[in-house]
Amino acid sequence: MIKSELCSLLGIKYPVFQGGMAWIADGKLAAAVSNGGGLGIIAAGNAPGEYVRSQVKIARELTDKPIGVNIMLLSPFIEEVAKVVVEEKVEVVTTGAGNPSKFIGAWNEAGIKVIPVVASVAMAKLMTRLGAAAVIAEGGESGGHVGELTTMVLVPQVCDATDLPVIAAGGIADGRGVAAAFMLGACGVQLGTRFLSAYECGVHPNYKKKILKANDLCTMVTGKKLGHPVRQLRTAFAKKYWDAEYGGMPDEELEALGTGVLRLAAVEGDEERGCFLSGQIAALVKKEQPAAEIIKELMEEAEPLLLGASKWVE
Amino acid sequence: MYFETIAKVIAERMDIDVESIKPESTFADLKIDSLDTVDMVMNLEDILGIEIDLDQPVTTVGDLDRFIQNKVAAK
Repeated sequence: MIKSELCSLLGIKYPVFQGGMAWIADGKLAAAVSNGGGLGIIAAGNAPGEYVRSQVKIARELTDKPIGVNIMLLSPFIEEVAKVVVEEKVEVVTTGAGNPSKFIGAWNEAGIKVIPVVASVAMAKLMTRLGAAAVIAEGGESGGHVGELTTMVLVPQVCDATDLPVIAAGGIADGRGVAAAFMLGACGVQLGTRFLSAYECGVHPNYKKKILKANDLCTMVTGKKLGHPVRQLRTAFAKKYWDAEYGGMPDEELEALGTGVLRLAAVEGDEERGCFLSGQIAALVKKEQPAAEIIKELMEEAEPLLLGASKWVE
Repeated sequence: MYFETIAKVIAERMDIDVESIKPESTFADLKIDSLDTVDMVMNLEDILGIEIDLDQPVTTVGDLDRFIQNKVAAK
């Protein structure tokens, strides 16, 4: 049984988070993950406060375990979402795409554990100072918005920079990744891509099919020019976007080209026009199964690796 | 008031000529993104010995200078 301080901190059985993926991570998936012993996280994305509230209510009907909400700090609805998580007494808030300093005080006062995603040492230090309960060090292997540094490089440096519990994310899909994360200094892991194959994940079947078929070189990063790089599967849309980005399309047009495309992929399964976000590790996602089984497998694979690591030392 | 210190930190970090940095220089032009900003502000805090707590967006180097001045005056 894997022991981690993260479990007692959050009241969860296994130190496994399911990432709050926009348009994908809803109340049903989060509940399944939490019921499976991990921390299920609802993605607020760019949705209004009432959407978040309704997903929290759905999760609460399905589980009495702790759940989280991932708040995208660039959302136009950030103020109302920030209030909803307090009103609904969400146990954990993770944050991405920015600096949550404006809200941490209120969330801490409400008893919420705030766990920001950080992509740099300085961010980790700042979040520690602002009163975060833990940090998620997410490397650029992950899907969606990505930073410069890889998980391999970021996690140990973040662990050096803060005494807070560090959750590693990016490029983890099986027990080997989990064990490696612990070796780098983390005490927990967050997975996104692997949970796309959960039965309880309501993403369009076309999306799941693409993930299950993916190989090692399946992703590419676009959007660097606009300052928000995004990792997605190499699809018709991705290549079209790349050509536009490096072919001199003006920034506003480029922004417009990337609007609404994740919804087209995740909700409508539009293989021509959709943007299929994915981590680099998609090739290791090989079958559909219940979320609880995913978590069980991760732990069952990681444990013998961690126990057996002593074989390397004479 | 803090412009010179800020300019020096930027010049060192971005490996550019400190003379090329003006109060009107925007962080976008200097290719400084949001992560660089956090790093730079923490660096400045160490050098200046004050907590800056940058809680609003700043567009130019001059904006940052004024922000820090206001912070110090408010203490």
